Amino acid sequence: MKQFGTILLFELKYYFKNKIFVGVTIFLMAAIVIVMFFPRFLSLFEKMPETDEKRPTLLLCAEGENAESIVEAFTASFSNYEVLSMDFDIDKLQEQISSGEAECAFVLDDLTSYTYYVNNLTMYDENTYQADQILQNLYRMNTMIQEGISPDQAEQILSFQIEHKVESLGKDQMENFFYTYIMIFALYTVILLYGQMVATNVATEKSSRAMEVLITSAKPTSMMFGKVIASCMAGFLQILCVFGAAILSFRLNEAYWDENSIIRSFFDMPMDLLLYMLLFFVLGFLIYAFLYGAIGSTASKLEDINTSVMPITLLFIFAFLVVVFSMTNGNVDNLLMKICSYVPFTSPMAMFTRIAMSTVPWYEVLISVAILIVSVFGIGILSAKIYRVGVLLYGTTPKIGSILKSVWEA
Amino acid sequence: MHLELKEIQKSFGPKQVLKGISFAAESGKAFGLLGRNGAGKTTTIRILMDVIPADAGSVLIDGQKIDYTKVGIGYLPEERGLYPKKKIIDQLVYFAQLKGMKKGDAVQSVDKWLERLEMSEYRNKRLDTLSKGNQQKIQLVTALAHDPDIVILDEPFSGLDPVNAMLLKDVVKEEITRGKIVLFSSHQMNYIEEFCDSIAILNDGRVVLQGDLHTIKHNYKRDKLVVRSEQAARVAEAFAASCQLLNNDTALLRLSSPEEKTQTMKLLVDRFDIDEIKVFEPSLNDIFVEYAGSQE
Repeated sequence: MKQFGTILLFELKYYFKNKIFVGVTIFLMAAIVIVMFFPRFLSLFEKMPETDEKRPTLLLCAEGENAESIVEAFTASFSNYEVLSMDFDIDKLQEQISSGEAECAFVLDDLTSYTYYVNNLTMYDENTYQADQILQNLYRMNTMIQEGISPDQAEQILSFQIEHKVESLGKDQMENFFYTYIMIFALYTVILLYGQMVATNVATEKSSRAMEVLITSAKPTSMMFGKVIASCMAGFLQILCVFGAAILSFRLNEAYWDENSIIRSFFDMPMDLLLYMLLFFVLGFLIYAFLYGAIGSTASKLEDINTSVMPITLLFIFAFLVVVFSMTNGNVDNLLMKICSYVPFTSPMAMFTRIAMSTVPWYEVLISVAILIVSVFGIGILSAKIYRVGVLLYGTTPKIGSILKSVWEA
Repeated sequence: MHLELKEIQKSFGPKQVLKGISFAAESGKAFGLLGRNGAGKTTTIRILMDVIPADAGSVLIDGQKIDYTKVGIGYLPEERGLYPKKKIIDQLVYFAQLKGMKKGDAVQSVDKWLERLEMSEYRNKRLDTLSKGNQQKIQLVTALAHDPDIVILDEPFSGLDPVNAMLLKDVVKEEITRGKIVLFSSHQMNYIEEFCDSIAILNDGRVVLQGDLHTIKHNYKRDKLVVRSEQAARVAEAFAASCQLLNNDTALLRLSSPEEKTQTMKLLVDRFDIDEIKVFEPSLNDIFVEYAGSQE
C-alpha cells in the first residue's frame, strides 16, 4: 500500500511536470473561455451606432394589380434588407447582383410563381421560404376577399395560431442529445488519449531498461494500479479544469447565450446525470487504461505500441460507433445497446447514453455498474499479471495466447 | 546471515532453464555466480529476488524461507537503465522509497552515496546528460541506497574506467566488511578472483562446480608442471606429445597421473639445466573454461 502511494505520487508528478500535458490543458481552458466570452465581445461591437450600417439590398420586380401590396409585404417581412422595387430588366438585375450592389432579387411572374436570383446560394438561405410564405398569404387573402370575406376576417383566419404543449414523461431526447454527445465524445477522447499515454509510459520504462530495477523494487500490482490510477486522476483533473473553465465562463456570460438553446441545454444538465457521467468516466477509464498498460508491457520498442494497442482501440471505437449510431437513430434502447450496456468494455458509454436519453430502471443501472466494478478489479489484476510476465520479455512482441498461457502458469 | 538456494528449478514453456540450482552464501563474504551467456544466471537472480516464482526448490535465509519484507536486496542489473529524462535525485529517492525507505531517510542516504561515488555535482541533472560510466555509478546508488542485506551486482565493472573501477572496488570491499552478502555475476574473472571467497559455476541450468575458491584451486588435479629453463625447447622436444612450449623459456608438462610428479621432477633436474619447476595452479579463467566451456 505504501509502495502504491509512492508510485502514484511519482506518476502524478510525471503528468504535472509534463509540459505537453500542462500546455494542452491550458490551451483547452483558454479556448473554451474565449468561446464562452465570444458573444460578449461581439455585443460590444454590435452596440456601435447603427446609422451608417448599410443593410443589403433586395431587388423586387413585380407587376400587375397586386404589385403595391407585394412590395409592402416584402418590405415588412424582409426587415433586414433594403427592399427596392425595380423594372423588369433581367440583365441589369443580374449585373447588379454579380457586382455585389444588391444581394438578391425576386422576379415575380405573378402571385403564384417567381424566380430567385442570388450570387452565392448559402446553406442557410431561407429567403425563398420566406417569400413563399408572403405570397401564399397574399394569394389566400385575395381568394378569401374574392369569396366575400372581409379583409379583417381573412387576416384573423390566416394568423390563427394553435396552442400546444409537450409533456415528456421520460427524457427529452432533443434536449439531451447535444450534451450526451459531448459527454460521450469527451469520454472517447480522454480514454484513447490517456490509454495511449499509459501504454507509452510502460513501454518507455521497458525500453529504457528502468524496468529491470523497478520490477525488483515493487510489486507488479502496485505498479499497475499506481500508474493507471495516477493517469486517471490526471485525466480527471484535466476534464475538471476544462469543464470548470467552461461552466464558470458560461455563468459569467449567461445573459449573452440566452438565444442559443443548444449551449443552454448543455449547461443546464441535471446534477444526477453529471454524477453518472463521472462514475462511468472513472470506471470506463480504468478498465481501458489497465488494458493499455498490459499491452504496453508486452512491447519491446516504442514503435511497436501503435500496432499492439490496435485491438483495444478497435474495441473502443466499436463501442463509440454503436452508441453514436443509436443516438442519431433516436432509438437508444435497441437490442444491441441493451447488450452493450452490460458488457464491461462498452457499458460506460452505452449505459450512460441510455440513462441520459431514455428511462432505464434503477436495477439495470445497478447491475451494469456492478459488472463494471467487478470487471475493473478483474482486468486490473489480470493486467498486473500480464505486466509481470510482459516486462521481462524482450525481442519480438509475443502473441496474446502465449502471454495468457504464461500468466496462467505463473 | 546465511543465504541458501536449494534445488531451484524453472521452466519457460517446454524449455527447462534451471535444473536444480543449489548454492549457499555467507554474510561478510562475496560469492561469485559464474556461467556462460544463457547458463541461467539472470533467471536464478530473478528467482532469488522474487521477480518470478520457481517451479520447485526454495530460497532460505538462516534455514528459514526468505521473508522479502524483512530481507532487503539491492540489485545492479546487467541491462543498465533508469529514467533518462528525469532528475537524478528524484528517481534515486523514488527507488529508495519503493524499497521501503521514508522520504527523508531516502534523500539523506542518496546524498550520502552520491558523495561517496563523487557524483554530488550531478544531483539535479537529468540522467541522459551523463556519460555512460557516470550513469552506471548512478545506477549503483539504486542498488545500495536502501542499505540492503544482500547486494547483487551483475557485471558491475563493465564500462568503467580504471579510476572508477578502483572506486567501485573500494565500495564493494566496504560493503563486504559491513557484513553484507555480496553476490557477483561477471565474466571478468580477475575481479571474481579478487573478491570472491566462494563461487558457483553454472552450465546449462546446473551447478557444475561450487565451493571455496582456494579449495577448488588446490583440489584441481595437480598433474601439470610448469618448467622454467633456458633449455625449454629441448624439454619440449624430449617429452614431445605431453609437453607444450609456453614461451622461449617456459614449458608446460602434462603428467599421466599426479603420482608421477616427484619422479618427473627428479628426471628433469638430472637431465636439463632447470631454473624452476612448480606444480601448475589453474587460474579461475582456466577452471571456468574447463567447466563452463562444454554445453551439454
